[in-house]
This record gives sequence, structure tokens and C-alpha cells, in this order.
Amino acid sequence: MSDKLSFEFLTRLNEKYKIFSQLINEEEFLKAEGRYHFHFSAKDNLCTIDFQSRAGSRILDGYTPPFDATAVRRLRISGGLLIGKTNMDEFGFGTFCTNSAYGVPRNPFDPDRSCGGSSGGAAATVALLDGHIALAVSTGGSISCPASFCGVIGITPTYGRVSRYGLIDYSNSLDKIGLICRSATDLRTYLPLISGPDSLDPTSCSQPILDLSSSRIKRIGIPKEAMEGISGEVEAAFRKAIEITEEQLSIKVEEVSMSSLRFALPAYYVLATSEASTNLARYCGMRFGIVKDDVNAHFNTFFSEVRSKFFGKEAKRRILLGTYCRRIGFRDRYYLKALSVRQIVKEEYLRIFQDFDLVVMPTMPFIAPRFSDIQKMKPLDMYKADFLTVPPNLVGMPHISLPCGYYHGIPIGFQLVAPHWEERRLLHFAECWESVFEYQFPEVKL
Amino acid sequence: MKIGLEIHLQLPTTSKLFCSCSTSATEPNEAICPTCLGFPGSRPRLNRKALEMGLMIAKRLECRIPDVIWFSRKTYFYPDLPKNFQITQYESPIGVDGKFLFDGKTIRILRVHLEEDPGKIKRVGRVGEELSLIDYNRSGVPLVEIVTAPDLSTPKEARDFTSSLITELRYLIGISDKDEQTVRVDANISVAEERVEVKNILGLRNLERALEFEFVRQSKMLRAGKKIPRETRRYDEERKVTLPAREKEFEEDYGYILEPDLGVFNVGEIAELMAIPETPLMRVERLSREYGIGLSEAKKIVFTSYALADLFEDLYSKYPTSKALSWILDQLAANWSTLEKKMTEDMRNSILTTIGSILSGSISENEGRKMLVSIIKGEEFVGASQELNNQEVTKIICSILNGHPEIISDYKTNKRAANFVIGQVMKFFKGRYSSDEVAKLVINEIERRLSR
Amino acid sequence: MDKQEVNEIARIARLALSDEEIEEFSSDLEDILSYFSVMDEAPTRDDFMLNPVMIENVMRDDEQYQVIDPEILRQSMKVFEGYVRGPRLS
Repeated sequence: MSDKLSFEFLTRLNEKYKIFSQLINEEEFLKAEGRYHFHFSAKDNLCTIDFQSRAGSRILDGYTPPFDATAVRRLRISGGLLIGKTNMDEFGFGTFCTNSAYGVPRNPFDPDRSCGGSSGGAAATVALLDGHIALAVSTGGSISCPASFCGVIGITPTYGRVSRYGLIDYSNSLDKIGLICRSATDLRTYLPLISGPDSLDPTSCSQPILDLSSSRIKRIGIPKEAMEGISGEVEAAFRKAIEITEEQLSIKVEEVSMSSLRFALPAYYVLATSEASTNLARYCGMRFGIVKDDVNAHFNTFFSEVRSKFFGKEAKRRILLGTYCRRIGFRDRYYLKALSVRQIVKEEYLRIFQDFDLVVMPTMPFIAPRFSDIQKMKPLDMYKADFLTVPPNLVGMPHISLPCGYYHGIPIGFQLVAPHWEERRLLHFAECWESVFEYQFPEVKL
Repeated sequence: MKIGLEIHLQLPTTSKLFCSCSTSATEPNEAICPTCLGFPGSRPRLNRKALEMGLMIAKRLECRIPDVIWFSRKTYFYPDLPKNFQITQYESPIGVDGKFLFDGKTIRILRVHLEEDPGKIKRVGRVGEELSLIDYNRSGVPLVEIVTAPDLSTPKEARDFTSSLITELRYLIGISDKDEQTVRVDANISVAEERVEVKNILGLRNLERALEFEFVRQSKMLRAGKKIPRETRRYDEERKVTLPAREKEFEEDYGYILEPDLGVFNVGEIAELMAIPETPLMRVERLSREYGIGLSEAKKIVFTSYALADLFEDLYSKYPTSKALSWILDQLAANWSTLEKKMTEDMRNSILTTIGSILSGSISENEGRKMLVSIIKGEEFVGASQELNNQEVTKIICSILNGHPEIISDYKTNKRAANFVIGQVMKFFKGRYSSDEVAKLVINEIERRLSR
Repeated sequence: MDKQEVNEIARIARLALSDEEIEEFSSDLEDILSYFSVMDEAPTRDDFMLNPVMIENVMRDDEQYQVIDPEILRQSMKVFEGYVRGPRLS
């Protein structure tokens, strides 16, 4: 598969689709030609010793980390060639990949549409490049959403399954590194490579061994609350996919009630922005990325100037929101309440998993929107678009988005959720699904 | 006056609290890594030793130790704080509701928690436009913070309390000698109602001075009928005064959240299995309780030396009398430090046997004292009889008998008449010789004269 | 959230916002926070967890080592005689 790849092709692909925030240079590419087993990309918030790692932000311009993220290192030592850093919403803050300081990636099925976010560059690259493996990151749906918009597979493993060492933090209790690829075979090959405990990330050290042995799927639940507010085309494709599942895969699919689902989205945004606003405190012009030479100002002014100038608008919005939610006097109502909600939602999932092997729902409530429509959306509308991807992310349960239909050639995905550490159920379902549903990939015209 | 303290002490680990950098670098910005510089993508990893030391302290201070603890992020912006948040403990300190007995008084300990130190700032340039030069070697060094209730009542007491506490912790976890000078204390002091906080006082001497200054300042204000404003002040070491801390632009809002990168720690189990060595004050209390001696005597023994206290315990368990105590205190405590250096097992046994013999009455106190002196001097203490200078002693015996001829005749009816001579001789030689030996010579001389 | 409150939060977060930004964020955050109020209906629990899965007792030994040459790290900062240059404190 790697023999098709040429540097010129990559460059032209990137010019058209803006999928990379930094591409491998020609010299390195030629040097590696024929000497790697597979090519992969890493989302720009994963630290790499030989590429800048800017997380889509201007404030990290010039930051080339002195270490590789564990997931990147593990793929390299398995014979992978890192061909570039994929474009993303600044620090992962977005649903449409329109918040990057390094260009807006285009949907491979329709360049006027969004490729989803925040791992938009990663999903688009996989849709455009056969055999490519993309390391992506999800906090509240940043793998599922672009995977569904770009018609590819996106797996978000259990929280703690893949070491976060070298991941530029958005929200440490929610961030998960996963994969975007085209087939279940790729998942089976590459997921074990990046999984497993890593002493450099304590949160990866309490995991059971990744077991991908076969697992029977007999019953799947659909939370009926998840079907409220789904667009007609998505609902139609989803219902059709469920029909196929029941008829051709002989899996029972039943509606279940999950009343805590309505709390999940606000709880997610509260936790994510609270943590993000502390993670982003370190960017102040003194130590990495943007480092100002002229220090002749009071530190408050100095910090404020750098931060105001180099953070994008959504980053500022989320810093403000997060700072507010953890303030004394507001912390109980927002931050601590959100922690309670996480517990409640988790318990509700566990209750459902007593009777069901998986939970399924559409990945996104609508197909990839046009950029012109995105411009008209208010921030809250954008946040609300995550209401299906957020719940499993909030509770750290593994989930996968698979293409399940097409509306006038634009892909639609559905998302399956498994209990903690049960990635094998997702993989098993993905393999079954491939046997009854054919994925379509865009025609690449450069 | 009520004083409460927040004492910050560095834990004597080899590496930092959340990374493997050294805690003892000398050149600036030498012991630094992505974690203690807050580089994006780096992660904290907890130093087990630091947690254990913290628990040891909490346990020693008789704190309630929760089953589970975690860390929190305290967010504020300052050039010495690489992440612009500090990893500390908020809702779940490693210990709460403890106490520390000191000089017969109980000081309540409100909480004990662990946290990372920020870097160290050097201010350069003209006052008012100082630039900061930062050394991040200190960033991430483990600190324990001990918070007391306002149970201290004088500056002297606050200093003595802190000093005893540090001595205790030195035995417990091996903190270094320099910690008395480098201990950082925030003190709350209220002479009347309002509480004034004096921040960042470095060392014991400054602590006492700062508190004394505050006491005088607040008392003067009260006498002048002024109200004392509730405020935060700092101590100026050079001018030896407290000054209002520069008003912050606004009150910092730390916005504490949980630190999700470390997980939780089941410290209840760890603490339960942990044996804490007996510290000096614990021993003082025990000696006083177990042997029924005064706290101040017990303290004198223990603070002279643990080895002396061992000796005391060995002796006192056999001869539980106040005399045993005074032998230890009067004869041994004073020169113990030089004595301890040359102490051998044999020497220790000789000391024990000698005092034992005195207490059982088998030798006289004077003899015993002599023996001790020579044991301590390291002289081979040879039995008195062998060393006895017969001629010299007999000469004295003769002169006494010559002056008191009635003794010879009294002796015929009552042998005890010899005791007077023995006593005189012993007195003359200031107990240099054993009474048995002297008695032998006295009786010999009397009998010699009688048989004449 | 009114503009004054946005200003206050911005100061805590060390963001110097323009008037237009304050205006915009004030209205955005108002929308968002009123939507968040749905959480008021959720019960409050005190058995919350730090992470979605249990992570407990992960510690390292007290060993001292450095993997990355500190000189490389110093190069990413502005350094004067070994010290990192920072802004004014007063």
C-alpha cells in the first residue's frame, strides 16, 4: 500500500484539503521511502520530536517538543513512518475543525463541507489515503464526529487504555488517544500497538490487558433519548442500518431509556472547560511556543498580552467558561455537580450493560454541514451538536463510529458504545458490519 | 494573643515530588525536565517516598488519616510557577485533626498536606521595576504543610513549638539541619479580634521577631484606640518590621479542581501498615509515663541523647528509684556528648554495673562516683585494694588512732568503734579507696595495737 | 453573564479582551450557562471520582535521573546567566 504514496501527491493533497498543519519534508520522505511498513499521521496535539506540535494554536507556534508522545513512539518502533501532523481545532476546541490557526481542512466528499472536529485533519487524511493510519484524540467526540463526517472508522478506546504521555492536554480526565482508519483489520493490527500501560502516564497503569478475542454480540440497546433532535436523513440511514443489523447479523436491537443523558452535555462542557482553563494557564509567553524577548512589563500585563494575542476566540471562550465554573461560589453548582453527573451517567450505562452488549446511536445528529451554515451557528448550537458523542466520552467508555449510510454521497455514521475495557466487542461488531455493509471512499481528484 | 502557624517544610527526598529531577542541584536551572517546567504533554508521577514521609508526619501528629486521598490544582499566575497552577491538596489532605504535645501543652493540628514548591525568584534591577530571574530547580520539590489551630500564645512559644516540631520531624524522616533556618512559615496573629496574617517568614529567628513586632504594633494601636484591620503583611528581614503585603491587583481566585493525572491513593492502608519510629518527644512522654519521672527530667535525658535514654531505661527498669535518675542526670548527662563518642559496649556495661552496685548498696556512693569517673576517663578501673597505697593509708590511720586512743579500748567491747576511723580515712582520701579495703587496714591496725 | 462579570473572569484568567469580545462573550456565556442550569435537576453525589475509571496507587520510586539534557530545555526559554528571564514583579 505504501508504494503508491509519493511526496508530490501528499503535497498536492494537502494544498487542496489542508489536512496537515505540518507535512514531512521531502528529504525525510525520500530517505524513508521503501523502509517503512506503514504510514501514519499524528494529530497536531501529539508531541513529536521532529515536527512542531502546536495543537492548532498560534500560542504554540515554534514548539518542537524534546520528546515523542508514547503512542507516536510505539507506532514508529513498529515500523511506521510519520508523514505529518494533522490539522485540528485549537487544543481540540471545536466540532467542525474551523478553529485551527493553520487552515481549515476540507471534507473529502465535498470541499464545501466540514470534515468534523476536532480530529478533522486525521479523518480526512484517512478518507483520502488508502492504508493510512491516523492517531487521533477525543475529549468529547473528536474522533467519532470527524470519522462519521468523513466516512471512515474512528475508535475511541477506554479512558486510560492508551498512554497520554506527550498529549497536549485539553481535559485530562476526558482525553483519550485513538485511531482513525478504514477497516476493522487495521484496528486489529494497530490498536494493540498503541495500547497498554506506560509508566510515563499513571492513568494508563490501572488497565487490564487488551483482549481482542472474539466476543458474541446478541443484544444492542438504543437510548430513546438519543433519537430526539436527529435530522431526517441521519435518522433514515440509522434506521436502515439497524434493520441490517437485526436481519443480517441476527442481533436484537431494542430501545432503552437513559434519562440521565440530558445532563451529560452540560456536565461534559463544565468538566472539559474547567480542566482546560487550568491546562492553558501555562501558556504565558515564558517557556515554550511563543516566548517573548521583551520582558519589561508587569507579569500580569505581560501574561495577559501574550494570551490575548495568541489564543483564538474559541480558546478564550472556553477559558472564560472554565474559569467561571470552578470559581469559588460557583464551583458547587457547576464543577462538583458535573462530577456527580459523570457518576450518574456511568451508572446508567452500567445498568444498561447488564442486559445489552452494546449501546448504539447515530454519531452526529446531521450530516457534515457546509461552512456557510456553520458560520450562522452560535457557540451553544455547536456545543449541542456533540450531544450524541459526549455521553460515552464523559464516562470514558470505549466507542466506535462506523459508516452506516450515505445521503447524496455524503457519509453518515453510527456509534457503538461498550463497557470499560471491552474494546473487543466494538472490534467484533465492526468486523461483522463490514461483512454486510460496503464502505465508500471519495474519488481523489487533484 | 493567639497565634496559628502554617509551617512549610521540604521533605528530604532524592527526587522531586512529581518527576525524577534532583532536589539538590547547585547550578541554576540544572535539575529541570518537561514535567517540572510544565511543558505541554508532560505528566506528573507521584514519588512514593514523599507520600510515605507525609503520612509518617501525619501519623506522628496523631492526625486522622483518610482512606483515600487525591491531589488538586490551585491555579494562580506567577512567573515562578511553570504551569501557573500548583499541584497541592485541597479537599483531601493526608491528615486532619491532629495534635502535638509540647512542654505540657497541646497544640491542635488542623491539617497536614503535600504540595509542590514553585521555582525560586531572584529580583534584579531597581526597586519598582524589578525583573525576575527564575531558577526552576526548586520547582516540584516536595513540601509538607502543617497547619496549627491558633493555640500558641507568645512569639517565644511559637518559635519553641516550631523548633520542637522540626526536631521531631528530623528524627522521624531525616530532614536536614539547615531546615531550622529555611523553614517557611505563614503566621496568623490576633492580639484583639481581628486576625493579621504575616506571610513567608523564613527561619525560626525571624518568626519570633516578626511575631514580636506584630504584638507590639497591634498592642500600640489598641492602646491608641485604633481598630486593627484584617490584613496580610510580610516580614522585612533587613528592617525587622512587618509591612502590608503589596495590595494585590485583586483577590486571587484559585478555582481548585481535582488533579486528574495522578488518580487516587489508598493511604489508609499504607498508613496502617506503617510503623513510626519513636521520636524524641514521644520518648519523653513515654519515659515520664512509664517510669513516673518528671517531663522536664525525661526531656533532659532524651534531648541529651537517645543512648543516654537507653541507659536510663536499662537502669531504671532494675532500680526504679529517684536515685537512679539523679545518677544519670548528675553524673552522666553533663559530659555525655564527649562520653558518647568513645562509648563501647564494655564501658556501657561497666557504667551500668557500677551504678547498679551503688544503688544496691554494695559499694558506697563515693566509691561508685570514683569508679564512674575513671570509667568515663577511659582508665582501666582497677579494684581499690590493688591500688591501695598501704603505707599512705596506714599512716593516716595511725595518726587518727594516736589522736583518739579511746577507740582502741572501746573497740574491745564494741567493734563498731572502728567505723569512726574508717569514716575519717575515707573522708581524708575523698573516697579514693574502697571502704572494704580501708576497713581491713583500720581493723588490722587496731588489732595490731591491741595485741601489743 | 454581564459584561462586568466577563471582565472579572478575564482578569482572573489573564486575558485582556477588547470591548467587542466582552460584548460577544457576555452573550455567548449567558446562553451557555442558562443551558447548563438543566444540571440543577441532577442529584448531587459525594462519591464522585477523579477519573472515569478507577486509577489507584500508581507511584514511582524515589530515584533521581534526567532523560532530557536540561540545556535543550533552557534553549526554549530566554536565559540570562543560567536563570530564566521573567517579566517584572512590580
